[in-house]
Parts: sequence; C-alpha cells; structure tokens
Amino acid sequence: MSQRGNIPILRVGSNLLTTIHIDLHDTIAEAFQEDVLVAIKNTGAKGLVIDITGLEEVDTYVARILADTGRMAALMGAHTILVGMRAEVAATLVRMGFAMDTVETALDVDDGLAMLQARKALGRK
Amino acid sequence: MNRAVPAPRSLSETLKFDARELNSRRTFFQLSDDDLARLKGLRPFAERHMDDVVEDFYRLILSHPEARRFFPDDETIRRVKRLQRDYFLQLFDGVCDLAYVENRLRVGAAHERIGMAPRWYIGAYRHYLAILLDRITADVPDPAEARASYQSMLRLVGFDMSLAIDAYIAANLDTLGRHQAAIRELSTPVIKVHDHILLLPLVGAIDSERAQQIMEAVLLRVIGEKARAIIIDIAGVPVVDTRVADHLLKTTAAVRLVGGKVILTGISAQVARTIVQLGVDISTMYTVAELSEGIELALGLVGKQISTGAT
Amino acid sequence: MADVVQRWEMPIRTEDDVILVRRKARMLAQERGFDAFATAALTTAASELGRNALVHGGGGGALIEHLADGTRSGIRITFVDRGPGIADMARVLAGGYSTARSLGLGLSGTRRLVEEFDIESAPGAGTKVVICKWTRY
Repeated sequence: MSQRGNIPILRVGSNLLTTIHIDLHDTIAEAFQEDVLVAIKNTGAKGLVIDITGLEEVDTYVARILADTGRMAALMGAHTILVGMRAEVAATLVRMGFAMDTVETALDVDDGLAMLQARKALGRK
Repeated sequence: MNRAVPAPRSLSETLKFDARELNSRRTFFQLSDDDLARLKGLRPFAERHMDDVVEDFYRLILSHPEARRFFPDDETIRRVKRLQRDYFLQLFDGVCDLAYVENRLRVGAAHERIGMAPRWYIGAYRHYLAILLDRITADVPDPAEARASYQSMLRLVGFDMSLAIDAYIAANLDTLGRHQAAIRELSTPVIKVHDHILLLPLVGAIDSERAQQIMEAVLLRVIGEKARAIIIDIAGVPVVDTRVADHLLKTTAAVRLVGGKVILTGISAQVARTIVQLGVDISTMYTVAELSEGIELALGLVGKQISTGAT
Repeated sequence: MADVVQRWEMPIRTEDDVILVRRKARMLAQERGFDAFATAALTTAASELGRNALVHGGGGGALIEHLADGTRSGIRITFVDRGPGIADMARVLAGGYSTARSLGLGLSGTRRLVEEFDIESAPGAGTKVVICKWTRY
C-alpha cells in the first residue's frame, strides 16, 4: 500500500491492522491518519485495529488524532478498535481529562480482531 | 519476618558509593595515605592492646542501663566482642578502599536491623577514642608523635562514623519504603475470581493518594491478567463524596482505555445520588447494588454464566 | 531546600526537538527511579508544553534540571518561548480554549500531571511555564 508515513498498515481478512511502534510527533501522526483513511478507501475494509502497545506516551494531540481517525473511519464504513494501551498511558490521559470516549478499546490485537469478527457475525455496520 | 530476599546487592552500589565518592570523602575527612601508613605502623601497638581496649570499651557501654538492652545475654556479648576485635584491628590495616567502605557500611546497616540509633554508636565511638587516647599517650613517648597518631585515628574513625550513619539512613528509608509498599498492597487487594475477571473489595476511606494507587494497581492487574472485567465493590467505603465518586469514574474510564470494564458494586442510595449529582453519563457504566449481581454480570460479559441448581 | 544537581539546555525549534526534550526527560526520570506512571506523566507534560512552545510560541527552549532535596529526586523543566503570549490565562487554564492543536486541554490537563506548575505570560511578551515532579516516597 502506498503511504506517506512509515507506519505499516496490514490487511487481515476484511480488516486492517496497524501497529504504531515509533515515537510519534505531530507530522508523523497526521501522515498516519491520512494513510489509514486512504487504506480504508482502497481496500473497503470494514474494521480497523490500531495497536499502540509500543507507545510509551500519548499526549492530548496524538490522542485526538487517534480518536478523530476512528470517527473518520466510521464515516467511511470501518469500525475502529484501539488496543494495547499501556497502564501509565491510560492513567495519564484520564488525569488530563481526555478519556477518548468515542473510541472502542480492547486489551490486545487478538481481542480487537475477535471483536470485529463478532460485529461482522452480528451483521452490524 | 518472612519475606522474599532480593538478589544481594552491595551497599556501596545501593548508596552509589564509587571511587569518586571515596576520594571526595577521604579529602573531606583529611584522611591521607600518610595517615593510613602511620596507622599501619601502629599495628603492633594495636595487637598489644586489642583485648584490653575491647574489654574497657564494653565495660563502659554495658554500665549504661539503656545501652545494655542491646546486649541481652553473655553469648551476644562474647560475639560482639569478637567482632569488635576484628573491627579494631582493621583500623590498623593501612587500607581504605571500596572493600573497606563496604565493610563499614554493613556495620551501619547491622545497627539499623537491631534498632540501634546513631546516638548510641556515636557515643560508643567517643568511648573508643577516649580509650585510644589514653593508651597512645602512655605508649608513645614523643608527644608530637602521639598527637599525630591520635589525629590519624580520629580521621579514620570519623570517616567510619559517616559511613555507618549513611548506611543507617539508607537502611531506614529502605524499611520505610518496604512498609509503604506492603500497605499499598494491602489497601488494594485485587483478587482473581475467574478467568478474565478480577475483584477489588475496597475497605476504608479513600483520599486522593489512595485513589491514585487504586487506579494504578487496577490498571496493572487488568493488563497483567488480561482481565475483561474488574468488579470494584465499594460497600466498605464509609464516605463516597463527589471527590471519591470522581476518582472511581476516572478509574472506570482508564480501565476502559486499556480494554477492560469496571463493574461497580455495593452502591448505596447515597452513592447513587452522589454519582447522579456529578452529572456523569451513566449509560456506559456497569453498576449494581450487590456484589453477587456484579459477579453474574461479569461472567455474562466474558460469556459465562452461573448454572442454577443441579440438572 | 532543593539543590540543582545537573542542568541541560535544549532548543525547541522543530518537532524533532520536542521529541528530544521528552526523551531526555524520560531517560532522566527512569535513571532517578521514577515509576512508569510518574515517568509517563512527566514526559506527557513535556510533550504538551514543548508543542505549545513550538506551535503557539513560534519556538523557544527548554531547561531540564535534576533536583535533589536529600531524600528524593526531582525533575524540573522550564519552557520558554517568545511568542504572542496568552491574553486570557484564566480561560486557557480552565481548558476553555480548544484550538486545532489543543492549547486549552493541553495546559489545564498538564497542570494535573505534575506537583508544581507555574506559568507567566503577557500579550506580546512570550510565555514561560515551569513544571516539577518528584519521586514518590
């Protein structure tokens, strides 16, 4: 898949899986958002799992980009699940008052993909 | 006390006592190689007086009723006298390197273990020096030489004292830290009730600090156990005001972020009122009055259910 | 009284500079025995304030200081920019502003992550923010 940024986006069945493994700064995060949306358009994916196990910190700007990406993906017909958030990242975001209420979450990639499978089985969009 | 012993780590390492620190401290105590050489030269003097000095020393210490408490029986006294003779002779080895430092730090840590506060051994060191002063002036005919010898002893003993106090303080802080960790653990007893289901029965008052500890402990356990749900039972929390409720809601939000769910149980009428007054969106929350209902709810969330009666 | 043990001055002129500041803060926090939660709080605060200095202040610098008060270690970070400053401080600190790059939530949220938070700003005179966090005991 052609991409602006260097965060790989993989196709897993009818879903997309992307693992963020590098220190994000704003430009990389913005490029990532665009890459994800282009990939959804190109593949017609119905689900998206964003794995952030590798992120040691997520500030409000990056959190907002991740949340916005989920909402934009929803407009394009793909359901987003954010997985693997570290304990200290969750505690920090909540303390800052940024609980990312609009994004669905799961413990890890397996759980996230299973949840997308379950949605598909239920025939939900 | 029965506790897992961590891998042994030298005290010098713990206290970051390296070659640079050794150098700096020796300079501050004016402890030069000349002093060490002079002390080494006094080795025959030390060996000659060793037994008498140690006897004198303990006579002074044991005559103080409170100090005596640290030496409950004759066996202990025999043992510490033996240790004291070794200690005394080491002063005249003419060596003050990192191994020497480690040895002296252990002395301080050992005192902390038996609860002997620094005031006791600072006093004991004074006895030591008083005895040594008498012996050295009696043994060394040249007053200038006697004075120089005593100065060298004073420097090394002062140096030793600083190490013993460092070690005492470090050991004390370590004890304090371990107690706090134990209290933290006791105040957030997270129990695994089923695969992927945890239970945290909260008992006692919750202030901001404890609330933060609860959040951190809950998050770590949810991730560590791959728990889908954690039941937090607040029936044992005496006062749930808006601040406590806010903390609980934050914990709920944080657990959701890592992919788990919080089920709040033990909710009284007053707590329900408080949560509603906070203006919280409760549509996304799992709350029930009784713990038993909470467990059923949790099992339902992970796709299991309790079968009622034998079939 | 806290003593400054060591200090590092770093520029904030690009996004990569912001990352370098936050990495330095992380390294120092881990070295000084901050736990994962305290480390994340400090580095996230540094990230927010670094971005503010870059985006809203047009760049500036950060001063990272390692403090010691005898029993605990502290890390203090001062962010300075020469940007337009903040006119309505009360509103910004209440989290009221919500510009594209989240100055409002950034500042009010950051305040809750650290033990000490100090901000000085006047229209036209730039902004200076000082944060400090200590190891727990």
